[in-house]
Amino acid sequence: MLLELKNIFKWVNSGGQRIFLLKDINLSVEEGEFISIMGPSGSGKSTLLNVIGMLDQFNEGEYFFFDESVHALKEKHRSNLYKEYIGFVFQAYHLLDDLTVYENLEMPLLYKKYKGAERKAMVADMLDRFNIVGKKDLFPAQLSGGQQQLVGVARALIGKPKLILADEPTGNLNSKQGEEIMELFKQLNQEGVTIIQVTHSEKNAEYGSRIINLLDGRKV
Amino acid sequence: MFKQNIVLYLRNIHKHKTTFLINLVGLSSGLACVLLVYLWVSDELAMDKFHEHDEQLYQVRRNVVNGDGTLATFTSNSSLMLPALQQEVPEVEMAVAVYEFGNDAQLETAEKKLSSLGICASEDFFNLFSYPLIKGNAKTILSDVNSVVISMELAQNLFGELSQAVGQTMVIKKNGLGIKDVFTITGIFEIPKNSSENFDFVLPFKTFLKFRNPSYINWYSNSSSMYALLAPNTNISTFNQKMGDFVTKRAKFAYPEPVFFSRYSDNYLRGNYENGKQTGGRITYVILFSIVAVFVLSIACINFMNLSTARATRRLKEVGVKKAIGAKRKSLVVQFLFESVLLSFFSLACAVLLVMLLLPWFNTVASKELAFAIEGKMLFTLFFVALLTGLVAGSYPALYLTKFSAVNVLKGKINNSLGELLARKGLVIFQFSISILLIVAVGVIYMQLDYLQSKNLGYDKDNIIIFEITDGLNDKIDVFLEQAKQLSGVTNATYMQGGMTNFSNSSRGHSWPGQTEESKNITFRHAHVGPEFIETMGIELKEGRTYINEKPNNESKIILNETAVDVMGLENPIGTVINMRGPNREVIGVVKDFNIQSLYNEISPMALLCRTEWISNLVVKIKAGEEKNTIASLEKLYNEFNPGLAFDFSFLDHQYQKLYQSEQRVSTLSKYFAAMAIIISCLGLFGLAAFSAERRRKEIGIRKVLGQTTSQVTFMLSSEFIKLVLIAIMFTLPVAYLLASNWLSQFAYKISLHAGYFLITGVLAIAVALLTVGSQAINAANKNPVHALKDE
Repeated sequence: MLLELKNIFKWVNSGGQRIFLLKDINLSVEEGEFISIMGPSGSGKSTLLNVIGMLDQFNEGEYFFFDESVHALKEKHRSNLYKEYIGFVFQAYHLLDDLTVYENLEMPLLYKKYKGAERKAMVADMLDRFNIVGKKDLFPAQLSGGQQQLVGVARALIGKPKLILADEPTGNLNSKQGEEIMELFKQLNQEGVTIIQVTHSEKNAEYGSRIINLLDGRKV
Repeated sequence: MFKQNIVLYLRNIHKHKTTFLINLVGLSSGLACVLLVYLWVSDELAMDKFHEHDEQLYQVRRNVVNGDGTLATFTSNSSLMLPALQQEVPEVEMAVAVYEFGNDAQLETAEKKLSSLGICASEDFFNLFSYPLIKGNAKTILSDVNSVVISMELAQNLFGELSQAVGQTMVIKKNGLGIKDVFTITGIFEIPKNSSENFDFVLPFKTFLKFRNPSYINWYSNSSSMYALLAPNTNISTFNQKMGDFVTKRAKFAYPEPVFFSRYSDNYLRGNYENGKQTGGRITYVILFSIVAVFVLSIACINFMNLSTARATRRLKEVGVKKAIGAKRKSLVVQFLFESVLLSFFSLACAVLLVMLLLPWFNTVASKELAFAIEGKMLFTLFFVALLTGLVAGSYPALYLTKFSAVNVLKGKINNSLGELLARKGLVIFQFSISILLIVAVGVIYMQLDYLQSKNLGYDKDNIIIFEITDGLNDKIDVFLEQAKQLSGVTNATYMQGGMTNFSNSSRGHSWPGQTEESKNITFRHAHVGPEFIETMGIELKEGRTYINEKPNNESKIILNETAVDVMGLENPIGTVINMRGPNREVIGVVKDFNIQSLYNEISPMALLCRTEWISNLVVKIKAGEEKNTIASLEKLYNEFNPGLAFDFSFLDHQYQKLYQSEQRVSTLSKYFAAMAIIISCLGLFGLAAFSAERRRKEIGIRKVLGQTTSQVTFMLSSEFIKLVLIAIMFTLPVAYLLASNWLSQFAYKISLHAGYFLITGVLAIAVALLTVGSQAINAANKNPVHALKDE
């Protein structure tokens, strides 16, 4: 078992009222799964993804990641855990505008304290694999959306994570670019990477092995 | 990671050049200020510290009771104190007496003739003080009564080469004291740059005693300064208690005159004594300028903080992404601090260049010879200051920017919190408060100095030149004056003792008819003056007459000022016979009060006497507009009496200005500091206004679409900042008022502080702020709203 959520609740207080963002979510994910989270706007998809990705806190419930109880971990341990096992892909790519493709890919490795030579090899490997060697010295603004997202995925993968979390990875792309990214995910999944994606598109959801539907913060 | 952070930072600079430039200019001028002041302060603090025995080196001071019961502190003592100290006080390891000549001693070698500044010092002078000796043995150079030790400059001036000077002879003459003899040069000394004392030659103290009228060698006649080397570990306060009655037990004074020892190297910075207590001195300016420099730098740091946090949105994405990728907050804080430290080191480089460029100018303004060498301690200081500046400036932005969670940042859910806005506004208010304070300071100092310089002193200081009575004139003063008065352009001429800017002689213990017990001990200032002195100086005669040329007769006459008549309680002063500086003097005139000191002091009771043997200076009044020709013909006349001697004169009004030299310096320096503070503050305001205009682009677009006019928008944008300046004004002006009246309170004559001055300052600050912000506001208000709304 890769991770397990038990009775997760998350809420915010607004004007004296408690508004639930996540309500009693139970979910277990095995290694090698490809899960799509679907639901209308405001149903809590992204929140759930952020909770899984440990970027966001929850108010109640238990979360186990590789049998570590995340809810009980200190910030430092949690951050180590997530740095080691999780990669993020964003809808808006979130590449750093002032860094080149090469430097963007290198950045996660810096935080994992890889040596210079190792970093070089890993980045080269990633550039090669995604066929973007020629673009390594360009800045994000000089790339098309599809290419940027390709770099985004490459950046998520470079630390060799067990789990990739993708928040509407194709949301800003045209259909052809979107398809390419989804094919890439499928391939990564076949290579053993667990993927959880948030998507609006039925078609993209089909790439996954399991679909979770949310409505008003509740699994349906 | 290090490398990548640098790369990121450099690209950031490239993208946001204005912000970078504002920060760079601000921080480098701030650092330059700090460096200049640091150089100045360390120079001031090092003054007189070069003496090897600095820790043990003390000067003897003496407290004397004034007529009003307060204490005045003097450094002069009886020459008898020297043997007494040497023989009777075990704590004194070495003692030295010094008599100061003034700068009118005449030196004559076979080739040259010049007047120069000398002292007489007892044998251990060069052992006690560490003036480097280039030639000669410190132990023996002053042992012969006809030896003289001269400075390197004087040796070069007189003999060209130093090696030839020792063993040469010269004639030294000093009027008044009656020294006139041949002296052999036994050594050459050097005056280090950080010495507060300056003199060209040293004669043995024995020589002074030899020529001194023996009737003046007693415990009541104070002529010499005393210096002592106290045994190590002497507890100075117990020692001073023990020494208190050192003079009093040897002389019969009406009031005790307690002596005490003060650290010699303290004199320079803490040389002011009030009522017997050390009250400071130049140290005030040292502290003041240090504070101002730190203020200027902190204004620049505030710019950095404000601009960094205001433009946070641009950096927040980076923070969010990095956090999402696995960066810890600590590493981001380090990154931002690193950036600000890097900027501060850039600025340091610029500041060093600036200091090198400005140092000659700064040396003129501060009248110093500061040198800027980047080495050892300086390098360490520079590094430390830059590092500290970087950390201080970067601290707030670093902590602020990195506190947001990745999710919020990436979703763009960052609202400027109230606290953050308040902090930024608070910092702007702080900046402007300092600037306003400095403007007020500059204004008040300027007006007070202007007032002092234009104040009616009771005499006319314009177009009067003063020069010393040199050897050739000595016996022919009347002839010279007669001839001088014949010159066209000369209105009048006379002579006097000392100068108009300070009657240094004072005395008490006089008696007059109707004297009361309290008025017995009133101290009078007095000077000997020549016939027609009152006319020459343009002093107003209240009653009676002035001195006329009737020599022996004049010696039994006296002229008083109004204050003197008042305190003496004389009803009909003219014709009264009093005892003052000699028995049975007839009061022949009363003059209106005139100032003879700097205007820190009230006018004291004063007497004008007329005895030619005491006089030292000639005074010539010249017609306005004819200065140049008249001085030329005076010089010609002077040279007939003194062949080969340079005509060395000074204008009385220049002498007067010299009284306020340190105030002038403070005035000039504070002017530049204030300008600096204002410019840097405005730079920051400019940056913030630009940012605010950008941030409110959409709002402005909507407002304009809804019908708000350009001028309304401009007003709205400007008022955001003007409000801050107004608050700063409200906070600062009362403080400024208090500080200004405190500074003015030390002057006996001062400007009164009108509300108008402060109003003008406020208006000035607002005007400057408006100019800065206005251009940005107008610019933003004139943009086509369509563009602003389209790309949202």
